[in-house]
Amino acid sequence: MREQLFEAIKGHDVEYVDIRLEDLVNTWVIFRGSDLDSIGSSRTRGGIVRALYKGGWGYATFNDLSDLKKQVKEACLTAKLVGSGTTYFAPTEVVVDSIKAELIKDFRQVPLADKKALMEAYNKIVLMYHEKIQTSIVRYADSFKSIWLASSEGTYIEEEVPDVNIYVGATARDGDVVQKGFEAGGGADGYQSVEGFHEQAATAAQKAVELLSAPPVKGGKYTVITDQIMTGVFTHEAFGHLSESDFVYENPQMQELMQLGKRFGVQGLNIIDDGSHPGGLGSHRYDSEGVRMRKNYLVKDGILVGRLHSRETAAKMGEPLTGNARALHFHHPPIVRMTNTYIDNGSVPLHEMLKDIDLGVYAVKMIGGQTAMEMFTFSAAYGYMIRNGQIAELVRDVTLTGNVFETLHNIDAIGNDLQWEPNGPGGCGKGGQHPLRVGLGGPHMRIQNCVVGGQQ
Amino acid sequence: MSMEKIISKAMEKAQSAQAVMLSTETSTVDFQFDRLKAAESSQRTQIDLKVIVDGKVGTSSTTDPLDVEGVVSRALEAAQFGSPANFDFPEPQSLEQVQIFDPALLTLEKPEMISMGQQMMDMVKSYNPEILSGALVQKIIYKVDYANSKGANYSAEHTAFNLGAGGELVRGTDILYVNKGLGQKQRKVDTEEIAAQAIEYFRMAETIVPIESAEYPVIFTPSGLIALLLSLGLAIDGKNVLLGASPLRDKIGQQVAAPCLTMVDDPTIAFGPSTSAFDNEGMARKVTPLIEKGVLRNFIYDLDTAGRAGAQPTGHGTNRQLTNLVINPGESSFDDMIKGIEKGLLVHEFLGLGQGNPINGEFSLNLFLGYKIEKGKLAGRVKNVMLSGNAFTALKDIQAISREREWVSGPFEYINGLIPYIQVGKLSVTAK
Repeated sequence: MREQLFEAIKGHDVEYVDIRLEDLVNTWVIFRGSDLDSIGSSRTRGGIVRALYKGGWGYATFNDLSDLKKQVKEACLTAKLVGSGTTYFAPTEVVVDSIKAELIKDFRQVPLADKKALMEAYNKIVLMYHEKIQTSIVRYADSFKSIWLASSEGTYIEEEVPDVNIYVGATARDGDVVQKGFEAGGGADGYQSVEGFHEQAATAAQKAVELLSAPPVKGGKYTVITDQIMTGVFTHEAFGHLSESDFVYENPQMQELMQLGKRFGVQGLNIIDDGSHPGGLGSHRYDSEGVRMRKNYLVKDGILVGRLHSRETAAKMGEPLTGNARALHFHHPPIVRMTNTYIDNGSVPLHEMLKDIDLGVYAVKMIGGQTAMEMFTFSAAYGYMIRNGQIAELVRDVTLTGNVFETLHNIDAIGNDLQWEPNGPGGCGKGGQHPLRVGLGGPHMRIQNCVVGGQQ
Repeated sequence: MSMEKIISKAMEKAQSAQAVMLSTETSTVDFQFDRLKAAESSQRTQIDLKVIVDGKVGTSSTTDPLDVEGVVSRALEAAQFGSPANFDFPEPQSLEQVQIFDPALLTLEKPEMISMGQQMMDMVKSYNPEILSGALVQKIIYKVDYANSKGANYSAEHTAFNLGAGGELVRGTDILYVNKGLGQKQRKVDTEEIAAQAIEYFRMAETIVPIESAEYPVIFTPSGLIALLLSLGLAIDGKNVLLGASPLRDKIGQQVAAPCLTMVDDPTIAFGPSTSAFDNEGMARKVTPLIEKGVLRNFIYDLDTAGRAGAQPTGHGTNRQLTNLVINPGESSFDDMIKGIEKGLLVHEFLGLGQGNPINGEFSLNLFLGYKIEKGKLAGRVKNVMLSGNAFTALKDIQAISREREWVSGPFEYINGLIPYIQVGKLSVTAK
């Protein structure tokens, strides 16, 4: 493959070219209700050529791998149509490397029949859990991706990316009230990560049934405590996206807003993105531009100290490379993305945080989150009211919203119990590239004056 | 590879088979931060195969046209463990004549697309030079081939043209994004109109005004109506009906919305963004009445869910996705609707769509682009506001529908449709 790629690049007439090829085989098993919904497998091959010329990018993406030279030519032609300014592209070490998958139990060797039988067992647990369970969804997916990256600078990287994940969802109904519970799992180290999920399947069903009798939270301003997963979501959604420098690098006002050295939160607030975190969902040795991933501090003791970069944004802003240019797959060029983003441990135990709260909300697990720069919103799977310093009754429909700049300052307690979100399906979406695998985590955290949506 | 070859290879072991091949060529120019940033040429092929063996279904797909053996053997393997086939692939059907191909797009090349994008960007800049503007121009030519073992064999060539214009405006810690887009299957799309609409949303947001938590009348823009349509779409999905998860599962023939609301799904509109003659299961597409004067008329079924529910497949493909959603115009003018409101909101774009419990109708959305109406006038943008309610309750509480309708389609939208402005009696607003 190596010779083939360099041969295709040879003789290009622009400033920089790279080719990324991918070969992906994936398998899925989906149960919905008592029936098998879908089972199958697919194979996807394709590639992208990027060409850079006078600050303009030309891309060619394709499935047809028969004439790579033609694709390089097309990308170069396109780049020359676009480029008319100055190229900013930070230098990086030329690397030649090969990263092999390390699987404890190789899911490619597990017969489809076994995968189906295991999912069927989880599905039965959900459906049999309670008479109020209306329906279920059990989704298994695995994929094994081989990636080849070659650049006109001489970088050549081969990488194998395995992924296996499972989602177990339960829907309970009581009259017109429908509620859901879910658990997710999986990992990059093999099939064993989705085995033994029976207890979690029961938990998903249990939560759906419990939520039937939980009232919706009353809308208003509360002191909110987020659990570790919600802290992770908050970090990713509310702050992480602001640290992606492609939003900043050509925008003078945003640069002013996100000036390094500015105070963003309390002493003791540390926000980190770490693509080298062992076993992280967003971990790789290199990003999609062949830049080594690493641990990057974004906020240190409440002060903004860094942001996430591609080779282009780093050069434009004159800041160090961070290894955050990531592409979902060969349909897309790499853009600035997070890897594993978390708030580091503080020192306040959960019971201390709760102690002074007369009326508050404890937000647990996540359904999803979205951000538009300074505004964010995220939904907890469920929550509990906090009354007189104690965790009280279960509530549903807990959605938090706010302005990140205010909210970061309103964090007044950071826990000492950092946890990562369990590996499941899904990921982050940006620029049409969804879902990209990212890790999220943090300790419990207390936020003052947080808006929770809902009826008054 | 030829479709016949795959089918005949699959039929060596299968009782029924169908194959769908999609071949796409896309050309895109992308402007960011006031300048042409990138352009892309893209070529894709995908083949999806579905087989029925011993009454069980297996599926597989590939992007490699030479991989006939592989795609067939993987589908056959999956079928050994597959779900029971509650259907068979359809016999050849007579298809509607639809307009989906505009030869004028064949000759559109990147240099001209670049000048179209530049023109939209210039318009946005001339309204306010402080806006960092962006634009997108995209041309797609694609071919869909369908064949099954019953002898159905269809082929259609489509064109598509997508435009987008907008930008971002940062004032202190206030960050405003506006994107307006449109997608059709023909070249006849007005770049000036799209830029003008983007500018209008910037203009309405020039001032930021406070609002108190309360219940208010709310007008949904055509794009903003997604807040309600998302739940409705899930509730009429035949699979959710079959599984008992839809709150509308037993409501066919019953009043589910105000009598002024009528909507159909129409895949036959000339050059409509989702117009096509057949779906990916070989079913002819046709107009499907959804709600007639507030009364629920149909659920959306694919072959499998229809077979299991004892219903008729509606020609919306395996993902049961609506095509062009058309809502009948009402009697009010948009201006009169605004004038009639003492205090309320005009809502256009949200954060958090689909979070929470959308099938149940409940929503709690951050207003990303929402505007306060005060004394019959648009007063300015509101921020840090949550809009909460239940979509099914809101649909019954429709107070007015505008005569004006707009196409909602293209790169920034969740659905495609021809949709009016719709006013709901009252919804709960939580403000900071």
